[in-house]
Amino acid sequence: MSDNDTDDVRTDGSGTGIVSPDDETPAWSERKERTQGLSRLTYEYFERARREDQDLRQQSDYVERDVLAFPAWPHEMMRNIALTSFFVGMILFVSATLPPEMPNPANSGVTPAIILPDWYLYWSFGLLKLGPLNPELSILGGSKLMADRTYGVLANVVVVGFVAIVPFLNKGSARRPVEQPFWAAVGMSGVIFSLTIAALSIKNLAPIAPHLLFDLTFLVPIVSATITYAVLKTMREGYMFDLNRRYYRLRPPK
Amino acid sequence: MADEFMKGFACLMVGGLGWMTIKGWYNTPSFEGAQLTGALTIEEPTTFDQIALFMGEAFFWFAVLGALTFWVVLPLVSEFQAYLNERSA
Repeated sequence: MSDNDTDDVRTDGSGTGIVSPDDETPAWSERKERTQGLSRLTYEYFERARREDQDLRQQSDYVERDVLAFPAWPHEMMRNIALTSFFVGMILFVSATLPPEMPNPANSGVTPAIILPDWYLYWSFGLLKLGPLNPELSILGGSKLMADRTYGVLANVVVVGFVAIVPFLNKGSARRPVEQPFWAAVGMSGVIFSLTIAALSIKNLAPIAPHLLFDLTFLVPIVSATITYAVLKTMREGYMFDLNRRYYRLRPPK
Repeated sequence: MADEFMKGFACLMVGGLGWMTIKGWYNTPSFEGAQLTGALTIEEPTTFDQIALFMGEAFFWFAVLGALTFWVVLPLVSEFQAYLNERSA
């Protein structure tokens, strides 16, 4: 290609700083050139784009900066246009082929039989139906400390509060679930609980006995957390083995 | 591997979209009630209807078999070939 594509290792900090550990290890450019098909085409496109940018910069009196990126136009913008076109086309296609039915307007004089919020608020609605968990205290003579509706609102406060403090918990360096199976299991149980509590909120419509549904709401998250923990704990050994193998392939012991 | 995933995903999406469209035309009696899996909404299918119904089935199996092929069958085949190569080497 050009004179700046030689194999010399530049030590003035101007290159990529990536040096192969020995002669047998392929460089990144060699690895890329061996690929084929779409990845090959992508590589060639970006390589050519990079080269054109480089030529433009060398011709101009523009002060070169250390920017490890492609310019917004055309590279980033073409990708964004492609993605936008895809989603706009999807909206046009679906609205043209499957137009929604327009039923009669709602009758404001009649209360509907079943009142439900929008689906993405079902979890919060379900938390209002935790009346059976509201304890009847014997010191109060078997009466409840607070009304069931107060209890439901308090459950919302607790759950939203817990979700709010999640970003401040566990600032460990783990980046993958397999590295911390316990916290991954906690997160998984939360995800499943958000689904089961949403199912509880529509217990009138769900094809399952209400008492069973209520029990499953709390049992399924625990079961899923256990399964997640077991699976991740089992995967961890293989994951560490893979990491070590990659490390030693990159830097073979002398 | 990423390419294989994308091909299988494309099969699933294209097939699923086509299947959803045709089922929405022919197997969705009303907005409330069975969606995409309801009874056939037409009495006597014309030639075009028959073509569309056939296309619905074709889309469905394209989605299922396409995803299975690229996500399960081809990776299994390549794994098996790698295994054979490792054994013979």
